[in-house]
Amino acid sequence: MWDLFGNLALGMSVALSPMNLGLCFLGCLIGTLIGVLPGVGPIATIAMLLPITFGLPPVGALIMLAGIYYGAQYGGSTAAILVNIPGEATAVVTVLDGHQMAKQGRAGVALGIAAIGSFIAGTIATIIISALGAPLTKMALLFGPADYFSLMVLGLMFAVVLARGSVAKALAMIIFGILLSTVGTDLETGEERLTFGWTEISDGIDFAVIAMGMFGFAEIIRNLENPEARDVVKMKVGRLLPSGAEFRQSAAPIMRGTFIGSILGLLPGNGAVLGPFASYTIEKKLADDPKRFGTGAIEGVAGPESANNAGAQTAFIPLLTLGIPPNAVMALMVGAMTIHGIVPGPQIISKQPQLFWGMIASMWLGNLMLLIINLPLIGLWVRLLRVPYRLMFPSILLFCCIGIYSVNNSSIDVVMTAGFGLFGYALIKFGFEPAPMLLGIVLGKLMEEKLRQALVISRGSFMAFIERPLSGALLFLALIIIVVALLPSIRKSRDTVFVE
Amino acid sequence: MNDVTQQDGDDGRRGLLKSPQDFAAGLFLIFFAALALYGAYGLKFGQMRGIGPGLMPKVTAVLLAAFGVLLIVTSFTSRGSLLERWSIRGPFFILGAVLLFAATIRGADFPSLGIKFPALGLIVSGPLAVIFSSFADKTTRWVEVIIFAICITAFCVGLFKYMLRLPIPLAPWWLGY
Repeated sequence: MWDLFGNLALGMSVALSPMNLGLCFLGCLIGTLIGVLPGVGPIATIAMLLPITFGLPPVGALIMLAGIYYGAQYGGSTAAILVNIPGEATAVVTVLDGHQMAKQGRAGVALGIAAIGSFIAGTIATIIISALGAPLTKMALLFGPADYFSLMVLGLMFAVVLARGSVAKALAMIIFGILLSTVGTDLETGEERLTFGWTEISDGIDFAVIAMGMFGFAEIIRNLENPEARDVVKMKVGRLLPSGAEFRQSAAPIMRGTFIGSILGLLPGNGAVLGPFASYTIEKKLADDPKRFGTGAIEGVAGPESANNAGAQTAFIPLLTLGIPPNAVMALMVGAMTIHGIVPGPQIISKQPQLFWGMIASMWLGNLMLLIINLPLIGLWVRLLRVPYRLMFPSILLFCCIGIYSVNNSSIDVVMTAGFGLFGYALIKFGFEPAPMLLGIVLGKLMEEKLRQALVISRGSFMAFIERPLSGALLFLALIIIVVALLPSIRKSRDTVFVE
Repeated sequence: MNDVTQQDGDDGRRGLLKSPQDFAAGLFLIFFAALALYGAYGLKFGQMRGIGPGLMPKVTAVLLAAFGVLLIVTSFTSRGSLLERWSIRGPFFILGAVLLFAATIRGADFPSLGIKFPALGLIVSGPLAVIFSSFADKTTRWVEVIIFAICITAFCVGLFKYMLRLPIPLAPWWLGY
């Protein structure tokens, strides 16, 4: 217990240095900005900002990038409440009741409870990470290659369940992702794979290129195709601080949302996305009068908003303790770490405690800053929302071009990003979801490496994956998940969760 | 890929093919699986106790093709979506702008095509990309776009070149860097 405080004190001393404090603030500010603006997400932004972090010390760079990620969760709710468009995927359910509240002139209260709920969730999630960090790292040291492999299989199966639409298509996307991850020089034999003699990709395809193409450019094309009517709430935002009664109403949903979000965020396979949906469903089930939901129920904002922020923070646990990135944003964090020669995994906490605890402490400070950035500055964000898309998309495009060019100072990278933009657009048109594919790319290399190691240890026997208790249990869980996802009744209810 | 596109609507008149979108999606997967198998042709599969570089690409490519076949088969048996219409304007101007930026930022030479792009640097490539891409939207206004392109480029030069010191060429023809 005292260890925990000692560690957090160490973290605070790192995070409170003027430079790191400034970078944390900058990250949170950028995160809020892109969270507010629909059509720019944290994936494209972090990919774009990677080259900027070259010149920064590693702790500061990671603190800033982390700030962008959870800052976007705060900002996402602003667009959802005021414009009826989720700024981020995780704010989709906030639209339902948040925008209704805004229409009733309670926009301020909705924004207020979203920010306060997010802050409480962020605080608790910070404590959870610092409490679980050390024990989970110890557990990670028990993980053999086979266990790692099975854990990643489990993560990928989660991604299948979380994807919309057909299970077969989601599975196909994961396999496609793994296939793409094999492009480039094989680490063991040095042989070039699937490069077709093209030297530009002999080091593999840069993940930033893929992410920017599929989430930056393809998104722009899609948004231009379906222009969305933006009805920015004309009414006054009103008082921001919820009343005592509203607080009492929201207290339990915030706690439940935090709990659900934290647990789901831990799952390797982007469980954080599911948090808000689960929270909303549960609040609706528990409510005395479920009919209020969809007409401006404050619980429908408080719960999901807490859940998405908690999940965004606990999603760092698999990365920091096991070295497995649970989603595309975390994969970009791996990229940022590699640039600075840091190998994500259980050794971080012992070898670079100032990095580990500094990042965690900065998350809490960041949440505090976000409370300030979001509430008093709300007028500024509202004005930003009025910027028309016809000016926004060329700016995003230019930022993306500059960012991707700067990663390797390569024009070829920019061309490849355009190629992935077209590819991403084709995927959308054929009804595929890009998210599971990205996770396949993220985990593919590591999976192959662990598979090789495990098979060397077991002398070529696949039984090792089933016989090792940990690995066997994880694979069994993965099997259950996929069977459950295929059951017709579950599929139906899964669809309604996403439709709602 | 545009030739497989069909018109939206008219849900009733669907013959043998019940889910054109899945059918096309299956073909799409099989195409890439075949490409990967071709590319991985010479790679060694290895044995189980020491798997070679070819195992992962080949196994995943075969699985990908299998899913492609599955999608094609089910497209005849179960009802699904029609193919969505592909827009030409969006992809052309957006991706065109990106390619234009890539070609002109540092210059590019394609001797086989007889095309040579000059190295224009961010000062010119920036507005070029912004203006070209803005054609993707029908509501674009000329004067607004030109003024905006100049402003946003100036902002980017200040931010990326001077504040963040990224080594992106500004105007090699004028400043030499």
